[in-house]
Order: sequence, then C-alpha cells, then structure tokens
Amino acid sequence: MDDALVQTLIIGLSNGLIYALVALGYTLVYGIIELINFAHGDVFMLSSMLALSLFLGIGLTSETPLFMAILIIIIVLVVVMAVMATINISIERVAYRPLRNAPKVAPLISAIGMSFVLQNLGLLWMGPAVQGFENVIPNVNVLTTVLGLDTGISITYKQLFVAVVTIPLLIGLTWFVANTRQGKAMRATAQDPNTAGLMGINVDRTIALTFLLGGALAGAAGVVQILFNNATVYTLGFRFGLNAFTSAVLGGIGNLSGAVLGGIVLGLVNAFSDRYLSAQWTNAIVFGVLIAILVFRPTGLLGQQLADRA
Amino acid sequence: MIESFRAPLTGEVPDDDLLVRARGVTKRFGGLLAVNKVDFDIPRGSIVSLIGPNGAGKTTFFNMITGFYTPTDGEIVFDGHPIAGRRGSKVRSLPPHRVTALGIGRTFQNIRLFGTMSVLDNVLVGLHVHLKSHWWDAILRTPSQLREEYEAREQARALLDLVGLREREDTWARNLPYGDQRRLEIARALGTSPQLLLLDEPTAGMNNAETRSLTDFIRRLRSERGLTVLLIEHDMRVVMGISDRVTVLDYGEVIAEGTPDDVRRNSRVIEAYLGRGAADA
Amino acid sequence: MTAGRPTVQELGGPRLPPPGFGGWLQHVSEVASRWPAAYRHALATRRRRTIALTLVVAALLVYPLVNRFALAGFSRNVFPLPLPDDTIMVFMLIFAAMALGLNIVIGFAGLLDLGYVAFYALGAYTAAFLASPHWGALGFDIHILTTVSSAVPGIHLPFWIVVWIAAVVAATFGALLGAPTLRLRGDYLAIVTLGFGEIVPIVFKNLVNVNFELGPIKLENANLTGGPLGINPIDPPTLFGVRFGAASGIAPVYLAMVIVLLCIVIARNLERSRMGRAWMAIREDELAAEMMGVNTVRTKLLAFALGASFAGFAGALQASYQGATTSDFFKFATSILVVLMIIVGGMGNIWGALVGALALVYVDKALLPYISQRVQDVGESIGWQELADFNVASLNFLIFGVILVAMMRLRPEGLLPSRQRAAELHHAPPTEALGAEALLEPEAVTLEQEVSADLEAAAGAEADRDTPSGGAGTDHRDRQGPS
Repeated sequence: MDDALVQTLIIGLSNGLIYALVALGYTLVYGIIELINFAHGDVFMLSSMLALSLFLGIGLTSETPLFMAILIIIIVLVVVMAVMATINISIERVAYRPLRNAPKVAPLISAIGMSFVLQNLGLLWMGPAVQGFENVIPNVNVLTTVLGLDTGISITYKQLFVAVVTIPLLIGLTWFVANTRQGKAMRATAQDPNTAGLMGINVDRTIALTFLLGGALAGAAGVVQILFNNATVYTLGFRFGLNAFTSAVLGGIGNLSGAVLGGIVLGLVNAFSDRYLSAQWTNAIVFGVLIAILVFRPTGLLGQQLADRA
Repeated sequence: MIESFRAPLTGEVPDDDLLVRARGVTKRFGGLLAVNKVDFDIPRGSIVSLIGPNGAGKTTFFNMITGFYTPTDGEIVFDGHPIAGRRGSKVRSLPPHRVTALGIGRTFQNIRLFGTMSVLDNVLVGLHVHLKSHWWDAILRTPSQLREEYEAREQARALLDLVGLREREDTWARNLPYGDQRRLEIARALGTSPQLLLLDEPTAGMNNAETRSLTDFIRRLRSERGLTVLLIEHDMRVVMGISDRVTVLDYGEVIAEGTPDDVRRNSRVIEAYLGRGAADA
Repeated sequence: MTAGRPTVQELGGPRLPPPGFGGWLQHVSEVASRWPAAYRHALATRRRRTIALTLVVAALLVYPLVNRFALAGFSRNVFPLPLPDDTIMVFMLIFAAMALGLNIVIGFAGLLDLGYVAFYALGAYTAAFLASPHWGALGFDIHILTTVSSAVPGIHLPFWIVVWIAAVVAATFGALLGAPTLRLRGDYLAIVTLGFGEIVPIVFKNLVNVNFELGPIKLENANLTGGPLGINPIDPPTLFGVRFGAASGIAPVYLAMVIVLLCIVIARNLERSRMGRAWMAIREDELAAEMMGVNTVRTKLLAFALGASFAGFAGALQASYQGATTSDFFKFATSILVVLMIIVGGMGNIWGALVGALALVYVDKALLPYISQRVQDVGESIGWQELADFNVASLNFLIFGVILVAMMRLRPEGLLPSRQRAAELHHAPPTEALGAEALLEPEAVTLEQEVSADLEAAAGAEADRDTPSGGAGTDHRDRQGPS
C-alpha cells in the first residue's frame, strides 16, 4: 500500500473513534426509546466548550510538565463526563420524559427544539467565532522519532491519545451493557418497556441511566475533540452530530458494536473524501451515505437491536 | 329465507357461481404456520362464517383475501381475478387498494375509523376508489369535479341513512358511541361498492339488542343489495343464526365445513373449542 | 371565509354547472355573484365575528399603504415602533406560502419533512437560472417575452412564467425524493428529508469550477451555480411597466399577497377534495386508508410534490424580489422555522399555518430586532457596555427552540387549534373538537405492529393448547358456541 493511502486510513481511524463515542449516545437512546436524540450532537459541542474553558482556566499548555498534564487531562475528563451526564439526564427530564406516551414525532420535534436551545447556549457562551486551543499533545510522529523507523507514514502522539481514551471507553460500555444488572435492565427495556416495567425494572431510572451513559461518552468525546482537533464552535454539534448519527445508522441503529464500526467507517469515508475528492463535498457525501442506507438497508451493516451482539 | 338457502358444498358448484375460490392457501410467519393449505370457497350471494379458537388463523386468512398479506403458497381468485397466486417462482398478491377496487370491502376487528375526520368524510374515503377526479380538477374545481363531489356526497349520505347515522354526518368519527362506530365502519366499507363484504367480529362488545339489529342488517345487505358476506365471529348465536355455511379453522387448518347444523355436531369442532375431555364426555 | 365543507348550494346544488370550460366560467361567476348575499347573511347571523374578520382583512390590505405613507415616518421621526417594513412584509408572505405548502405535507398527510428548505432553494435557483445574465458567460442568450433589453446577455424569461417552472421543478424533485423514501417509517423519513435539505444547498454552493466531458458536451471550469457568491442580478417581476423588486416599495407586497391568496385557495380546494380526504385518511390510519382503496404510495407522493411546489413558488418569488440568491440562505434552521410555524398555528389548519408564518417572521425580523435595539439603547444610556453590545435578535433560535419544546409539552395542538373545524363539527363537544391533530396523537397501529400482533396471537394460541382453560376474554364467547 502506498503511504498516502495508509495515512488517510490512520486519519480516518482516529476521527472515526471520536464519531463512535458520539454515535454510541445516539444508538443507546434510540435503542431504548426509539428517539433520534437530535440534541446529542449539541451536548457534545457543549462538552468540548466546557473542556476548553477548564483547560484554559487550569492553565494547561504545551509547556506543562508531562505528569501534570496527564493528571489535568484525567481530572478534566472526569469532570466533563460527570457534568455532561447530568445535563443529558436533565434534558431527558425536561424535554422527553413528559412526552413518553405521545406519538413518536412529538419527542423528535422536542429534541430538535432542544438542539436549537443548546446550540444557541453555545453561541451565547463562546460567540460565533471558532475557538482554537493550542496543541498540548505533540503532533510528533511516534514511528520515526521514538521507534526510529524509516517511513513516510505518521502516527502521532495525538492519534495514540485518541485511541488510549476512546478504546477503553468503548470496551467498558459494551461490557457494562452486556454483563451488569443495569445493562440487562437496559436491554430488557429496549425490548419492551411495558413488560420490563411489569418485571420490576424501574423504566424511568433505566432510561435516565441511558442518557447518563450517552452524556458521559459525549463528554469524553468533547475532551478528545478539543485536544485532538484543537477547535470548537457552536455549530460543531450539528455537523458532527449528523456524522455521528449517520455512523449509528450505518452500523444498525440500536446496535452498540455497529455504532463503533459505523463511526470508524464514516471516519474513513470523511478522510478519503477530504483527500481524494474535495473537502467541500464531504458533507454532501455523508448525507448521501445516510440517505442510501436508510432507503436501501435501514437495518444498517450489523442489523438493529440494542446490545444483542455487543 | 335463511332456512331455504343452502349453499352447495365445495367443489360441487361451477366456478362461475363462486365469488371467492381459494386453493392451498398457506401463510408462514418465520417458523410459525398460521394458515396451512386451506381450500375455501364463497358462493355468490351467501353468508359464510369463519370460526375457530383465538389464533386459529382466521384474521390472517382475512388479510390474505384483502391483499394485506401475501400467502406463502396457494392461490386466491376473486370474481375471476387472481388476487394472489404463483407468478414464476414467487407467490404475489395484488396491493390492498387494488383488491378493494375489485370489490372487496372490509371492517376491522378493533375499529379503525379516521378519528378526526367527520362521519361523512369517513364514508367519502370509502368512495375514494370509485371517484375519478384528479388533483388539478380539485384545484380548479372543474364542473366534472363539482358534479362528482356532489354525487359522492349524495351517495355517502344515502349510506349513512342506511346505517342510521345521517343525523351525525358532521361529527368527528371518534366522538361517536361505540356501536355507532361499528356501523360507520360498515357504511365506510359499503362505500367501496363491494361485492364481498368482510366483517371481522362485527358484534364484539355489543349488547343483545345491538347484536340482533346488526344481524338483521347483515341479512338485509344480502337480500337488498345482493352482497356476499364473509364473517369472522365469536358469538355463536350470530354465526348459527345467519350463516349459510360455516368453516372452522384450528391450527391454521380447516377442521370442519358445512351448514351450521353440521358444524354444531362435529366432534372435532367441539374438541377444538372445549378440549379433548369435553368431546369424550 | 365560510366555515365548513361545501354546502349543496356551494357545490352548485341541483343546478350543477355544465361540463367544459364554459361551465367552469359559469360556476366561477356564480360563486362570485353569491358573495354579497353570503356576506350579508354572515353579517346577519354571526355579526361580531364577521365584522372582526372584515376589519382584519381590511387592515392587512391597507397596512402596507399606511405604513409607507404615515407609520414608517412616524416610527422613524417621532416614536420608534416594531413595525414590519416592506421587505419584512414580503418575507412574512413568502414564508406564509411555504407554511401553507408544508402544511399539506405535515398537516394534511402527516409526513414529517425536515428538509423543506431544499425546495425553496430549488425554486430560487430556477428563477435565477431563467431570469438573469448568469448563463451569458457560457454563451447562452435567450430572451422570451421579457422586458429585459436584448443587449443584456443570459437567459431572460418573465417572472410570470418562471414561477410556474419553479413550482414544477420543485415538485419534480419532491417526487424524485419521495418515490424511494415514502415507504420509510416516520422518523427515518424525517432524517432522509433533512439530508436532502442539506445536500441541495451544498450542490448549489459547489458547482463552480466544473470540468466535465461527455460526448459533445464539454465544460471547462464552468461556473454553473455561482458558487458561494450565488447568482445576481436576477430580473425583478415586471407587469405593465411596474416593477416588483426589492427597491419597488409596496408593489411587491401586494404581489406577494396575491400569491399567498392563490396558495390559500389551492390548499383549501385540495383539502376539500378526494385527495385531501385521502391525505387525512393516511394521516389518521395509513393501513385502514390502504384497505379502503387509497393508493397510499401515490397519494403520499402527491402530497410531497404539491407541498414542494409551494416552496418552489416561494423560492422564485424570493429570488426575483431580492434580485439575488445564495446557497447560504437555505439552512436547516429555515426548514425548522417553517415546521415551527405549522406547529404554533396548529397542524392541518390552513389559517393556523398562515397566522403562524406571519407571526413568526414578524417576531424574527421585526419584533426581536426592535427589542434588541431598545435594550441596547438602555445599555447606552446607563453606560452598561455589555448590555449596549448585546444582540437579543441573535438569540432568535434559542427562543424558537424553547417554543418548540414548550409547545410539544403544553399545547401540541397549536395555539390556533382547528376552531374552523370545531365550528364545522358543531355536533361535537367543543373540548373534543379542539383536540390535537392526529399527527400528535397516540399513534395508530402500524403495519409492523399489526403483523407482530398476529404473530403473538398465533404464538399465544400455541401456548393455549396445553391448557384447555387457557386464554381469557373473548374465549368465553368461543365456548358458548357448539355445545
């Protein structure tokens, strides 16, 4: 394989992992209450803003000593995940729970409204301009500098960082849903909320837990976003959110491993489109993929069903 | 009248006298065999009932006649038109709206009216399939469209007269009392000008008086309008009272067929309904 | 504004018009000649309502004149008022046309379309392509029935033809998008339309330097759509020497009023026809509609296409009026704004859509900027710099988002619920008649649910086998039978 191709693969893969984190939030919620949670992308956007302001407030720079930097990043990661989980639960309380027995379009419209609310809160908070953040994690090629390989391919510390944060979270979540008591309650609720309720599962709490997990993952994705792509803006949620939603649909919405696979595929689609076609067409291609899947294979690559194959 | 009418047994009549002829109809849902190789005939002008325990495949069979389900195997012919049958290697069926246009009207087990449309509009939707005007006629309100609308309304009102709902034509369908909703469903089905009327548990939830008046009404439909009626019904008094023929399904198979009296005495039927012990006793 | 479905008289009664164009003319003139009598009748029977409506209509008709010649000056020189100017009025009306069209799709047929802006863009670009110097650069110079000088390069058709072409183009794309997607479930359809609404502006934005070769067709660095800059100038509508452009004062306001009136008439006529009933039947219960003989796929496609044509109309008007169009104008937020107009007004209600559109554009373009200005004035005067720089109007979509969530929670039937229908359905108890439209009601059983219910019933029967006494409810009736 030629170097450019491999390079595009690596770029696509690392972006795809971030998509996967956000896509899991969509797929978890859809799996449980069949709602396209429009506001999820904007939760991710807000989390990147929160991460940015925390980093700036604490004073993380590229000069910060390695040990300190790692500590700060871990603390910020935990804080942002916790805050976003709380926010996501509150959103469910305010905008979706009262509509649980309404027809499906009512919560969907409510979610769109919530998306606009969050997006404009982001606008109020940081203004219309793109907010940059300095490159804390060095963009240095690990292969050449550390391993001393003679290659044109580059895997940077930043890309490794994305993998180190996202992969354990992805594995942890799938394990949680597959093996824990609460995970089983989630799967039961996804199958049939009424029966699950009759079997003694607290459906409201299980749904809240789903939003908690989705919010926490979006929070982690926001931290990774600000450290990896070094930028955030209030419209990030809409663009990124639709990419992530497409990932979820691509993998088979409601299917956890499908969301991860979909995220990676979509990251690759983005990277290849950027490189070999033109960045300005990338969004159109993503939407084209989304429409094509929904029309021709609405169950996605791995089929529907929450966590059954996770 | 009913007593004098005895439909000939399956296979003994020339095809011309059969409105519906079903042969080897089978429907499989995954591993579950809902209807298995059913042969079923409906002679013109008869009232035929389909009975059987819950889940015996009655409604599934109904849904295959209306084109809602495609049979896994077998063929159904209505008035000389194939509704379902093998074409090449696959069984295909007409889409429901085409079946309706051929002359099959139906009601639903759990009432499915258009709730926030007026009673009159509900019947007019039934007439839809026989109206010809296009959207551009509607936009321009052409004379032909006005004429058609006018006539359709008169026709719909006549149907409402027939079921006794004329006074309530402006009411929203969902605001009608339960019994009236059942009657409106029949009026709507009659709007499609059917030759065959399929009634899915029409007396469910009705009291004795209502049931009796509905039974009379079904008889009148046959005698005055020449309709053929296929009935799914749980109330055996209704079934035994008005049917010319009764077919009993169990496990998706026909276990008995004949006049109400034949079926009443059939030991397999008793067994299917009451369990083995009852039949032996 | 007579309430209700056509009466026998309205339909021509026993004297139905003869067929053909002559009969149509006769019918139209008869309807027109009945108006004075009908109005006197309404005045006699429902006096207050009729007077109020007359005043509202009259006020709408004279407002542009009064504003132009009195109010605008007063507001500028004496006391500031949140008054819509000519441009805002035109946009209120353009969005009214769109809301009326989307109401056919969402309100009548119950199909959630989140990419309606695509058809608006298609209408606008159709007008831009057919009435501007744009194609002159590629060597096309076509002038048909136009007042534009033949010295001006490019394709120039009169607006009065262009709007119809724009409507047809939008409807065609509506049908093309709808054909493969209308079988999808409600929320998937919403997402597909959303994607389409995003793709169309991207395509218009990016087709700038197109290199293409196919047989005799050869394009080299061709600028097909004007790219990010869009296309301008676009010929304004012109009739008997009167121009209806952005600089033409109140003339375009009245043109837009005529177009909206046309849209209302078309929507009303469709609502009360065979097609309108079929749409509502699909909205209420798609499966029952199919069983009653409605070809649901074709009928939904028609709703999609006709709804799109209204946006094509509106787009052509916008482009011709402003004399320019750019892809940035057509955002997802615009699609949602139109959805919000229908929700606020009350789904399925033509007057609700109309009022919702006028009100929201007014709030967005006149009221919020006015409040913003006043807040900034206060900030200036008390010397609070943050307040003086604060732009309330930029929060419009924060406010609209809150309204969306609140409407869903508190009043899904809209602020102007179908009173028209309540009046029409005078037998119904008012509380019931004011209920939400079906789209926002607990859903009817879908096809899949129907199948799975059958499956369960069948599976349940299997289980019942082992226990002769198994099953409940209707089983009792089973047993009273052949005993």
